[in-house]
Amino acid sequence: MEDMAFDPVSLEILWSRLISITDESAAALLRTSFSTIVRESNDFAVSLMDANGNSLAENSAGIPSFVGTLPRTLVHFLKRFPKEDWRPGDCVITNDPWMATGHLPDVTMVAPVFHRGTLVAFSGTIAHLPDISGALWSADCRELFEEGLRIPPIRMLVEDRPVENVMEFILGNVRVPDQVLGDLNAQITAHRVCARRLAEFLDDANMVDLAALSETLQGHAERAMRAAIATVPDGVYRHELKADGFDADETRIHCTLTVDGSNLHVDYAGTSPQIGRGLNSVMNYTYAYSVYPIKCALDPLTPRNAGSYRSVSVDAPLGCLLNPRYPAPVGARQLTGHLLAGAIYGALAQAVPDKVIAECGSAPTARAVFSGVDRQGHRFSQILFASGGMGAGPGQDGLSCTAFPTNTGAGSIESFESISPLIVWCKQLRPDSGGAGEFRGGLGQEIEVEVVSPEPVHLSLLSDRQKHAAQGSLGGSPGALVEILFADGTRPHPKSRTTLKPGDRLIMRYSGGGGYGDPAKRGKAAVADDLREGLISDVGARNYAQ
Amino acid sequence: MSSLIRMGVDVGGTFTDFVLVDGLRDRIYTGKRLTTEGDPSQAILDGAQRLVDEASITIGQIAGVIHGTTLVANTIIERSGAKVGLITTRGFRDSIAIGRELRYDLYDLLMEQPQPLVPRHLRLEVDERLDALGTVLRPLDEAQLRDAVTQLTTEKVEAIAICFLHAYRNDIHEKRARAIVQAMALDVPVSISSEVAPEIREFERSSTTTANAYVQPLMQGYLARLEERLKAQGLVGHVHVMLSGGGATTIRAAQAFPIRLIESGPAAGAMAASFYARLMGLDHVISFDMGGTTAKMCLIDDCRPQHAHEFEAARVRRFRKGSGLPLKVPVIDLIEIGAGGGSMARIDGMGLLKVGPESAGADPGPICYQRGGTQPTVTDADLVLGYLSPDYFLGGEMQLDLASVRESVAALGAPLKLDVTATAAGIHSIVNENMAAATRMYVAEKGRDPRQYSMIAFGGAGPVHAYGLAKLLKLRRIVCPLGAGVMSALGLLVAPPAIDYVRSYVTRLNDIDWRHVNQLFDGMEREARRLLTDAGAQEVTFERRADMRHVGQGFEIDVPLPNVALGPDALGSIRESFLTTYNRLFDRRVESVPIEALSWRLTATAPMGEVALNFVRPGESGSRAPLKGRRQVHFAGIGFVDCPVYDRYGLRVGDHLDGPAVIEERESTIIVGPDGRITIDRFLSVVIDISAGTVKQD
Repeated sequence: MEDMAFDPVSLEILWSRLISITDESAAALLRTSFSTIVRESNDFAVSLMDANGNSLAENSAGIPSFVGTLPRTLVHFLKRFPKEDWRPGDCVITNDPWMATGHLPDVTMVAPVFHRGTLVAFSGTIAHLPDISGALWSADCRELFEEGLRIPPIRMLVEDRPVENVMEFILGNVRVPDQVLGDLNAQITAHRVCARRLAEFLDDANMVDLAALSETLQGHAERAMRAAIATVPDGVYRHELKADGFDADETRIHCTLTVDGSNLHVDYAGTSPQIGRGLNSVMNYTYAYSVYPIKCALDPLTPRNAGSYRSVSVDAPLGCLLNPRYPAPVGARQLTGHLLAGAIYGALAQAVPDKVIAECGSAPTARAVFSGVDRQGHRFSQILFASGGMGAGPGQDGLSCTAFPTNTGAGSIESFESISPLIVWCKQLRPDSGGAGEFRGGLGQEIEVEVVSPEPVHLSLLSDRQKHAAQGSLGGSPGALVEILFADGTRPHPKSRTTLKPGDRLIMRYSGGGGYGDPAKRGKAAVADDLREGLISDVGARNYAQ
Repeated sequence: MSSLIRMGVDVGGTFTDFVLVDGLRDRIYTGKRLTTEGDPSQAILDGAQRLVDEASITIGQIAGVIHGTTLVANTIIERSGAKVGLITTRGFRDSIAIGRELRYDLYDLLMEQPQPLVPRHLRLEVDERLDALGTVLRPLDEAQLRDAVTQLTTEKVEAIAICFLHAYRNDIHEKRARAIVQAMALDVPVSISSEVAPEIREFERSSTTTANAYVQPLMQGYLARLEERLKAQGLVGHVHVMLSGGGATTIRAAQAFPIRLIESGPAAGAMAASFYARLMGLDHVISFDMGGTTAKMCLIDDCRPQHAHEFEAARVRRFRKGSGLPLKVPVIDLIEIGAGGGSMARIDGMGLLKVGPESAGADPGPICYQRGGTQPTVTDADLVLGYLSPDYFLGGEMQLDLASVRESVAALGAPLKLDVTATAAGIHSIVNENMAAATRMYVAEKGRDPRQYSMIAFGGAGPVHAYGLAKLLKLRRIVCPLGAGVMSALGLLVAPPAIDYVRSYVTRLNDIDWRHVNQLFDGMEREARRLLTDAGAQEVTFERRADMRHVGQGFEIDVPLPNVALGPDALGSIRESFLTTYNRLFDRRVESVPIEALSWRLTATAPMGEVALNFVRPGESGSRAPLKGRRQVHFAGIGFVDCPVYDRYGLRVGDHLDGPAVIEERESTIIVGPDGRITIDRFLSVVIDISAGTVKQD
């Protein structure tokens, strides 16, 4: 019935136009934001939801972690502010980790879109603020309250007017109020663009609302995903992986994947209980990083909307690392969440090995956050963005120095040095770090940073993979471990806050991705190429002996 | 020799186009030859001779030849350039391979990354180091450098690129290194990053420097040979080359920085549109150039195209941002998308109709060409809809096969239960919508509203799709100049000699060292003046700009600087200029956050004389009857309409016509819907005004 309303030509046109509305809004947000995390890690998203709160279109370059969290946040907003109470120009925000994206720095903002007096849609944006009070970004807090300010669902704009005491309250609690205000405004700008473009769209298309279109688009996305899941043989597939956790508390992710026709269920029963440091991943985040890798592997081409994930369900026992109870610390939840892709692919590899890649050395991300005062007396806070290698896949070596499942870029070292009292002595590929395999894992990199300020500099490390390497797939070998050390050979705690003295040097070695397939099957020419290019050493070449 | 006779030669992938302006007799002659692969100068010489014969002059009478070429772009796309050695600061030879670490496709687990132009074993490191202020932290180790050069010589590299950290700030080590290489008496060109692209960000700078080295041996040889052969054929006048930024430059300068020619061809098209905008007094123009494989759109405000400072070459995934090699070169800021006459239509996995970006190109080309193409293309759809005539394609030189086209289009639509007309109309509207979406995004990023713009349409498919695209963008006026097929060659002749320079100096506005800024501008102005005077300029005008942002942001905006002595007194107006520009782009003024500048830019332009537009056309004008006949033409929301078909060469200045109408010329066809009003202006351009109130999309 739904297809009678839209022929394939208009549907193609309307669908791509909705996506380009979100892309245009996202471009406005990105270009006006102050947060380096928004910019370098792409840590933001714009989503368009129908009047019932189902996601309809999302910006195409957005971060995977926000897939699906916006509609889940909107449900909480609608509980607090019933639909009939929303007015044009209203705007509601929260950063509650459980309702929204899993940690405090992300602000989720939703605004209604009215057309000819009727509420036709909600626009949603998420962006990582430059500061949210509390401890600077770190992995070692013991409860949520240390990590920063929690904003419950609250109206920030009423009919386009800022609610002054809300703004004052937030800005009075952060280190860089101008920039935080700038970023909240960047989100508001994106909402305005979205509302304006959507109104034009409805006029052009002669539509009163989005109900029928939304239904049709979701139907298409759902059918595409169901068809993809149906190609996976029915069965129950299990995989477990280990992570460093915190000190003696090593963590374990246990994943059970059940495929039944066109339905796929992910269950994390058997995963470690929540822990007293910021590694806990709330259910929203767990969900987001479960469905994203499934879509990459099975249905990469269909634009995503609420329909994409109707056939996928995700469950984790309450109180475990992947579904912690309030007020567990969650500041470094990426150290856990990024590992889910590896767990899911480990299970999927048993059913459809040609659709997945080996574990990524770039999952989870390894971050060093430097802050202090520079030579001109300006306060600085710099995150060293860099990635390890991706896992290899069927027919292709892993990408070196590339993040997955997140999509974090790296800025230039020249820019980095021009705004912080730090000198980077090298940023180079790390030979032999890619796991051996018929297809080799991507290489990690080595970076050496020296402090050249007259004052000591604070360092916060958020990293993993010092004990558990990225595993290979189908006989491939694991990639190299993460190594973090000072010039004198001592090793800082991988999830800690410390102080660096002027002249101190920090060496970060990022891990490589796992190999795919038996190394003995790798072509001689490929091994010789790797040797000539110095991607493997003579010692590393021995892994390929036939 | 008269300075009034000049020739533009645009070498494209398929055709080499010629325009000869004879200012003595007020005539413009045009010509087209097939591009000679391998040695493009052959087609240039043949075509030039033919055109001067037609104009009854000699090559010796030509004052200047201006050349546009795709050779640089093709060399990089085909990876057919020189074997290059790269020398870097110790610890940074992998910058060029590690890049920005971004996945350009979020969902493709096995996406292909563009490979650097220099493999790792030819990337060597030496000890040397500057800090961000340009202070030497470690001196250049000259013994290591010599060893590196010896090693590269053993490898028989054909060009050397040198890229040291922070060399944009201080070129001392790069200059010294080049001197050492040259003193070692090597006969290979050396590109240094502080000259090729003196801008902050090591990946982009080294990518640009190596690309320059990569095309340099080829381009040096080619340009020298071209000049030599033209002179041998009798040319006394100068030979100039079109830069990607829309200015013309000397052969010598082009040989030093050949990478700046990468967008030479598309730049010429935008310059031609700017020229028409000036002639017609249009302040806000979108130029729309649609050919066989791509469509290019460019915003032209106040008769000048927008400029950008970076370009991405040789994308491994067609038209996907982030999948190519970034080049820091001044370019005309235009967008190019995979929408052309050859773009192929298909049904995707979800049963939706998709068009492009894959193109059937010229070979096999659309089905109607009858050269073996089997998948329906945009041109095929246009034929079914009556926009094109089977009997008058390329002026009748090519007969199109309608019957087999209808069959294939019908077969494509059958699974979707669409008949042949609905399928063809679908292809036409989808490709238009793809172009409209890209244009909307591009215009929005500039903080502009498309509805304020007129469109200048050209290229073989441009005038066919201009009407549909203009309606989607809610534009009111379309201009189709005469000579849709040779606009780029014309653009070469109307572009003033110009050159762009840049120097990076990162500073907060409040901490600026004005002496340093003025030194940077003085240096750039001196170089520009010398170069343009060499090229024959009498006077030179300068325009200064800076890349600025709020402290803490990662994206800079391009801000015009006041034309006064730069010093503390100018601070207020620089700040205001930033805030105004920012407000236009993002609708906000942020007064409280400090501002910083990163790069300082200079554009130098030499003014040029007027070009009169009297085309010499097939059959000469006026004498032919304008109405050729009638045919059924399809318009969205209406269906097939009985529509008059006019001969463009029969239309006279001042003629008025009402839509619907088809106007045929040799290289293109203009389609006008029922709500269009047509006027022929004094340059014989077809001007279409779309009535207000009927601009709804179907």
